[in-house]
Amino acid sequence: MTAAGPDHSPVAVHQFIPTLNPRDASGTHTILLRDVLRRAGWRSEIFAEAIHDDLAHEGYKHWMYPEHAAPGDVLIYQFSTSSAVAAFLAERPETLVLDFHNFTAPEYFAGWEPHTEQRAALAAEDLALLAPKAALGLADSRFNEAVLRQAGCHPTKVVPVLVDYHRVAAAPDGRTSAELHALKESGGIDLLFVGRVVPSKAQHELVKALFAYRHLYGEARLHLVGGTSSYNYSKALRDYIDDLGLTASVRICGEVSDAALAAYFEAADVYLSLSEHEGFGVPLIEAMTAGVPVVARAAGAVGETAGDAALLLTRGDPSYVAAAIHRVCTDDTLRQRLIAAGHHRVGALSLSAVAPLVVEAIATVAGPPQ
Amino acid sequence: MTEQLIPATEDPQAYVDRVMAEIEEEVRVRRATGDLPPKLERELDELFLAHSPVAGRGGDLADALRMVDAATFIDPVVPVASQKAVGTAVKGGMRKLLLWYVGWVTHQISQFASAVSRTLHIIEGRLNEIERKVEVQRVPNAGVIEFPALHRSDAWWVEPVIGAATKANGRVLHSACGDGWLVQRLNEAKVNAYGVDPRTHLVDQGTLGVVDLRDETLAEHLRSVAASGLGGLVLSGVFDGMGSGERDQLLGLIATTVAPGGLLAVHSVSPTAWASDDAPYEADLAPGRPLRAETWRHLLERAGYRVDIQLGPDAADYLVLATRDGASPATPTQGR
Repeated sequence: MTAAGPDHSPVAVHQFIPTLNPRDASGTHTILLRDVLRRAGWRSEIFAEAIHDDLAHEGYKHWMYPEHAAPGDVLIYQFSTSSAVAAFLAERPETLVLDFHNFTAPEYFAGWEPHTEQRAALAAEDLALLAPKAALGLADSRFNEAVLRQAGCHPTKVVPVLVDYHRVAAAPDGRTSAELHALKESGGIDLLFVGRVVPSKAQHELVKALFAYRHLYGEARLHLVGGTSSYNYSKALRDYIDDLGLTASVRICGEVSDAALAAYFEAADVYLSLSEHEGFGVPLIEAMTAGVPVVARAAGAVGETAGDAALLLTRGDPSYVAAAIHRVCTDDTLRQRLIAAGHHRVGALSLSAVAPLVVEAIATVAGPPQ
Repeated sequence: MTEQLIPATEDPQAYVDRVMAEIEEEVRVRRATGDLPPKLERELDELFLAHSPVAGRGGDLADALRMVDAATFIDPVVPVASQKAVGTAVKGGMRKLLLWYVGWVTHQISQFASAVSRTLHIIEGRLNEIERKVEVQRVPNAGVIEFPALHRSDAWWVEPVIGAATKANGRVLHSACGDGWLVQRLNEAKVNAYGVDPRTHLVDQGTLGVVDLRDETLAEHLRSVAASGLGGLVLSGVFDGMGSGERDQLLGLIATTVAPGGLLAVHSVSPTAWASDDAPYEADLAPGRPLRAETWRHLLERAGYRVDIQLGPDAADYLVLATRDGASPATPTQGR
């Protein structure tokens, strides 16, 4: 192992990502990791197939990498979907590290979005292509690590995703905050979920739980924050909400600014997740940062991400979920326990706690940083 | 940090377990009051499925083709409604200007879609023909077959099952649960029990509001249960009329869903009772016949279960109580 290239310049640890987007977890993780790697002493740049306009100055197109290549480079691929980057890296001779964030399995899109279903199937092919070639696999969770290992990647290490969770604790957007407070004055509780509106996130299950809660316990509203990549699912969800007479009680907010997100967390009584597939679940930790108790179905990596800081449900029956929400809203001991455990959990997953773990893992293939 | 908020004598995990048990109890009580019966939850599911595309409704080919047919025509006349008065005029003008172009493109797309649709209909026709030929040789799945005198809460085998189920660590499932008569008895004995039965009319009546019952087949339900997710499984009227293939498949599912050390209780009528004049007509129509008690012993012991068999009065029926230690799931099958 060496920490320097043949000309004694520091070894470079570059990252590749399908899309460098400021509003998704793998995009922010990539930028934070780049900064961590640089602070540790490695040279580091970001290369992507597509780069969001707001981040145009943060990276290069992946096909520009050969101009930057130097002997001894280590390349990290932020794997979250199918991309031409995978085939590009498969041909490169540099040491490869797979940083695996998982991808939604094709079956979740079956019938809803044939194109996305096909793309998810291609992601599985990309993983099969790169996993055996990687010198190291990093996974956000043991759940993701199992997928990585099954694809033939060895050795592997679990390192949580790098996120600046405190963005949700920033000053909330005044207008959004005022709107939400006005709603709250009419009584009832506010439930929040943050995530893309797609079948695997099962927002329709949240609507069912809301229906059951209102039927059994009283007034409640549901706020769904996040863009969508499934028009058909989004439309079905809206029609479903209309059919149940919940149009005024469910807000489909779309993507929102950090300040507006902070306002939604501020107003939330419970963060509720009934996702069927999560490779990590960043919003769970954001809810904990904001002091919102979490009730979540223990699917995918949700259980290990939340640890003991969430009320984990073994199933998603609406009446069962409604009873759990009611319990959290009415049992102050439980509520305070979840909030306190949440703050503890946030500490364990903070940037300062996770960054050394990443550096240590990368050093096993790149040598110690200079 | 968290421990300070929990009673000093209570372990944090025990506290969470207690809370979850109390939530379960809350659900049970709510159901008992009839506030939100399972029927309403099922209607919630069905309402969403009505908005789902075909694959979400079980992938029926005829439904899929109807969707394809409906989407075959691409309408080049775009809507021009707008919230602003001038918007409608502008959009209308643009539509007039572009219609010759958009119309030409959409016509070709519609033609392509029609060709695909025709092809799919031909494939459907050929598949239907194959299905008709296969149907002649099909072995049907066995339904639930109940003997009224044996499947009731005062039957001799109920007490031994309850006694064994009280030692189970985790939820206990009864199938075929009917209107929940055994689940109710198990709940009264403080067993965390629920039931499944494909006979919707039974699930929707009787003790419906009091106990947790789902109207689905046992195999469907077990496929949705996590590995080692059950502390025990009680089966009555399920295996009796099954063919060997279906039985093997179900035993495989049981091996993965019942936790090591968990209970497998099988109540079965004897082959003699099956052949008697009192047997329900479904017995004649079933693809299989009940095994003898000792055959169950052979089958389950070979798969690593410890087996205890109790015979009923007049040897008309019997009860198999089996447990299996160790983590590796073994699949008891008769043919391998």
